[in-house]
This record gives sequence, C-alpha cells and structure tokens, in this order.
Amino acid sequence: MLSYLLFIATIGGIYGLLALSLNLIWGGVGMVNLGLAGFFAVGAYASALLTTVGHAPIAAGWLMALVAGGFAGLVVTLSTTRLREDYLAIVTLGFAEAVRLVASNEIWLTRGTDGISGIPGPWKRALGPDFNGVYFLIVLLAVLVVFFVMRRIDRSPYGRVLRAIREDAQVAQVAGKPVLRFKTEAFVLSAAIAGLAGALYGHFTSYIAPDMFLPLITVYIFLAVASGGTGRPAGALVGAYMVMTLLESSRFFVEWIPGVTAVQRASLKELLIAVALIVVLRLKPSGVLPERVPPAPRPS
Amino acid sequence: MTTIRIGRRAALAAGVAALASPAVVRAQADPIKLATLTPLTGAGGPYGPVMAKAAASVVEEVNKAGGVLGRRIVLVSEDDQTNPEAAVRAARKLIDVDKVAAIMGTWASSVTTAVAPLCWESKTFLCTVSGADSITLLPHQGFLIRTQPNSKLQVTRVGEFILSLGAKKAFTMIPQTPFTQSTFDVLNQVLPKGGCTHQSLIYDDKKTTYRTEVDQALRTSPDVLLANGYTPDTVVLLKDLYRAGFKGKILGFAYSINQKLVDQVGQPEVVEGVYTFAPSPAEGSGAFEKVKAGTGSANPDPYTCQVYDHTNLVLMAIANGKAATGEAIKDNIRKATVSGGKVVDNAVDGIKEIMAGGKVDYAGASGPCDFDEKGDILDCKFRYEQIKAGKFTLVKIA
Repeated sequence: MLSYLLFIATIGGIYGLLALSLNLIWGGVGMVNLGLAGFFAVGAYASALLTTVGHAPIAAGWLMALVAGGFAGLVVTLSTTRLREDYLAIVTLGFAEAVRLVASNEIWLTRGTDGISGIPGPWKRALGPDFNGVYFLIVLLAVLVVFFVMRRIDRSPYGRVLRAIREDAQVAQVAGKPVLRFKTEAFVLSAAIAGLAGALYGHFTSYIAPDMFLPLITVYIFLAVASGGTGRPAGALVGAYMVMTLLESSRFFVEWIPGVTAVQRASLKELLIAVALIVVLRLKPSGVLPERVPPAPRPS
Repeated sequence: MTTIRIGRRAALAAGVAALASPAVVRAQADPIKLATLTPLTGAGGPYGPVMAKAAASVVEEVNKAGGVLGRRIVLVSEDDQTNPEAAVRAARKLIDVDKVAAIMGTWASSVTTAVAPLCWESKTFLCTVSGADSITLLPHQGFLIRTQPNSKLQVTRVGEFILSLGAKKAFTMIPQTPFTQSTFDVLNQVLPKGGCTHQSLIYDDKKTTYRTEVDQALRTSPDVLLANGYTPDTVVLLKDLYRAGFKGKILGFAYSINQKLVDQVGQPEVVEGVYTFAPSPAEGSGAFEKVKAGTGSANPDPYTCQVYDHTNLVLMAIANGKAATGEAIKDNIRKATVSGGKVVDNAVDGIKEIMAGGKVDYAGASGPCDFDEKGDILDCKFRYEQIKAGKFTLVKIA
C-alpha cells in the first residue's frame, strides 16, 4: 500500500510540475497553452534518448529535458508572436499533435509506437523496493524548487508585469514594457518546466510511448489549475494533487458499489471525477485557492 | 503562510487516499488474488468487458469447487482505458494495493509494453493478448506469456489469404502501431512470391476523414485492400472507400472489423463482401463451449477465449507450484500443458487431477496453449469470414 501511495504521490508531483508550468503561462500571462502534452513529451524523449542511446548520466538527461523543453517553447512562441487567445490555443494544440506524430513515425529516432523501454532510474538496482520512496523525494524536491521560483516570480515586479500583460497587453506596451520579451521568457520557462516533468516521468516508469502524450493529459492539468486556483502557484499545486486524488481514489469508491459490472464501474469512475470537479468549480468558481494580487508598493 | 496551507491540503489528500484503503487491505488477508487489466473504455472497449467476464466465470467455477490449495480466489478487474499512462497507474494499484499474483488480459500492445516492466520488477505474472513482436523480446525473465500469435505469424497467413483471393495488386492502409513495420516486411516478402505487387501507406488513426489517403491508394488501382486499423478509424476508412467507388476486395482483422463496426457504419452496402481474419478459437472444443456458457455470448471472440485460457492456466500453475505467487506461476505455467497428461478443458478438473498427483494437458478455448521459452504461442488456427447482408459468414478455418 505504501509503495502505491508513494507512486501516486510521485505522479501527482509530476502533474504538479505541469500545473505550475501551465499556471505561469495561463494564470500569469494569460496565454492559453494547449500544447502542454507536447512539451511534456519533448522533455521525456530528450532525456530518455540521451540516457539510453547516449548512455549519459540521468542528471544530464534531466538538464537536457529542461533545455529541449525550453528550446521547443522558444520556437513555438517566436513562430506565434502575432497570435493571441483562441488562435494561440489552436496552434499550441497542433504543436502537441505534431510532436506525437513525429514520435510515432520517426522510428529511427524514437522507436515509433514501440516506445522506448528500459529507461534507467537513479540507483534503481541498488534501491530495490525503496526506489519509489527515493524517487518521490527527488520529485518533491523538484516541485519545491519550482514552486518557490514561481512564488518568487509571482510576488516580484516581474510577476506584476506578467499580470499587466494578461490584463491588457497594449497598456503594458504603452507603459514601456517589452511585451514580446516578457511573453517569450515566460513561455520558455514554462515549457522547460513541462520538459523536466516529462523527463521525471520517463525515468520513473522506465517506459515512454507516443500514446502517453495524448491531449487528455493537458485536459487534466487545465482541470487541476482551474479547480486549484488560476494565477496562484499554490493553487496549481493543490489542484494537481486534487485531480490525482480524484483519479485514483475513485477506483476504491466504485469497488464499494454493489451489483454493478466492471464496465459500469469504469464508467461510474469517470462520472464521479467529472461530478467532483463540477462541484468544486460550482462552490469555488475561482478555484480552491483563488489568486491574491498583492498591492503594488507605493512610491515613497 | 502559503506553505503551511499546502501542507494541510496535501495531508488531507493523503488522508482521503488512506481512508479509501482499509477495505482493500482487509480483504487480502487470505484469498488468492488475481487481476484482469482489460480495456473497458477507449478503443478496446468492445472487447475488454467480455474478457473480464470470461475470467470471472472461471474464478466462480473454481471457487464453487473449493478454490485452489484450500484458498478462495478473488478477481479484481481494472480498466486500462486503452491508454498506457492510465494502465500504468491501474497496474501499480493492482500490484501494490491488491498484491495480485497475476495480471491477465492486457490488450493494446502499447499498454502491455508499459505494464510489463512493473510486472517483472515486482515478480507479478503477466498474460497478454497483444500481438506486437517486440513484446516477448522484452527482458521479462519468464514473467510473461501471450496467447496471441505474434504479428509475423499472423501477417504471413494474411499474405497467403490475399494470394488465395487471386490478387495481383495489393495495397495496405495501416496506422502507425508497433506491428506496422513488421506487417510491411512480411507482406513485401510473401506477396511477390505469389506474383502480387504490394504498396502501402501509413495514416494517422485520429483523423476524421481519409479521403486523401483513399485517393492516394486508389491511384495504384489495387484489387485487394488490407484495412489494418482499429475500429474507430476503420469505420471512417470503409465509408470513404465506398464513397470513392472502390470495387476491389477489402480485407481486415476481425479485432477492428466486427459487429460493432457494422453497426456504427450503419449502411450494409459499405461493408458488403468485406473479408475478416482472426486467430481462431478452438471452436467445438469443450473449453470453447464453457466460454460460451460463462459469458453468455453465442460467438465469443478470440480475446475472450484467450483470457479464459489465461485464468485456467494461472490457476493450474498455482496448484502445480503449491504457492500463489508470480514466481510459482512463472515456474509452473508450462506444466499445465504436459503432453501425455490427462486432457482437461477447465481448471476445476485440472486442479483435481494435479492435487491427486497426476499431470494435465490443458486443451484451451483459443488452442493448445503451448509456449516457447520467450513466451510466444507455438501453434494457432486462423478463421476467415466474409460479411454478407450485414452478417459475418464463415469462409474457412485453417
């Protein structure tokens, strides 16, 4: 049981990183990034390939995931500088699908739909059954570091500019803020975090395949950020764990319901998740931990 | 201030998860636990539910006859959602919380490849119906068997059947899957021997129309077209082929061209004359009749028959090994099909014979169930059908 809880807590932490990444870009700058699964995949593949084919140490793989995710983010922002809102959403969604298609068809590089198996985990052989525990601590550390960086940004003048751009990019531009630079930087940072999450995922489960990076994962993270609280790092993190808890605890709830078949149970599980999220958003429309905008410092 | 809040929320989340567990933890005290991990939702949705039912029917019979090693058997059925990410979470729950000895019935190849490492690392036995060649080549240390013939064997038979239809120009339309490359390799080898040329294209299985792909295929004027996708995309593909006025023969695998597809297409003329192909269950055998009775289905599909066999084989392996662990199953799974042993078609008779000190030779619903050292099935028959007036009619079993 403990090792299962640790497993779920670890996957929850990885969802948490994705939620922090999305919160920065969606909650912070107001750019809708539906391509989260794509950046997640880029990081996972970058690290998996570097450590399996390239035999590099795992830490190098993680670093590579950050760089590859960030680079993908840079390419996407620079090629979409004129797009806003719905249009950006469409292009980023297309980006994620393109990544998935490249991963399934460029067999020489990604081994296609067979996926990459045997991705090494840190000290996996030596740790044996304790691996889940140690890996949880690694992910927790990554989550905490990213969380504190996000909170620092959120409360700094930099974060205020991001929020200003979210509210009205034109006004921010008029106030002399280089909007494009801010947007690009935030997007690159967000994509790099998503890439890191992908790498952490791959080295944890030891196997990745294109089918793991379907848009469903982006939907889960949007649900997490929306129900946790858009625009507040703590909200995103809480939301991610909330979604993960719902996904997993619903397994056990439906086992208690007597007289239903396995299929009905599976459908009930999905229903339960949907209802719970609707209830949360009905009671707390701006999320469990709504955004708090600190007052700007007064000139003295 | 904010950090303290997280601590509380996280603790609450952990608390909820912990609260959900006691019933499960309590239940695992004595009985033997086995699991099915079949697709109850997603692309495999038409198959998974009946598969789980077949396994449940075996467990029920054995429990009625007193269980194995004097212990009752509990079957846990989880949904793999035909999605490797969800399947890994479900498998983790089965292995860590339910502590099952074996997981049976993984269907999609990507799901099996994702779940297999968790199984061999935790010494849990895995029985699968996935066909991709790469699966039995994984370093599974014996913790995996599959009752589905690998794609090389299957596609060779498909190629021979295409030739028997008198084809001169064959065309394959297939999405990118773990068996795509081996399908091309095998067909490019088999078809030219019979004087038939072969061309192919790979399509994206998430698209909503295949008009361009169909045009591209028809430009080569093929006389036989192999539609080698899953049900949702094949529905679209067949409609587009009909609209484009394709007059040649269409052939597909029965896992995608099934009754559900015929119902979804809704126009009998679209699917009229389409051939289907599948590893054949051992029709008429005692085990096959038991699958029919157990699932209440007049014409159980190969996967259902295979999961019936998984459950019987695993239970007899537990009896042979005198222990309900993945390791015991691994060491004894091949002892349920000893030639010269007493021929049985269900675990109840088999367990009785084993407990009396005898040897058994299990004759399964999907075939003889003999495995090589990699875990691949040795022998299998294939079933060819054709759709006539919306009904599947038997062409031959060979």
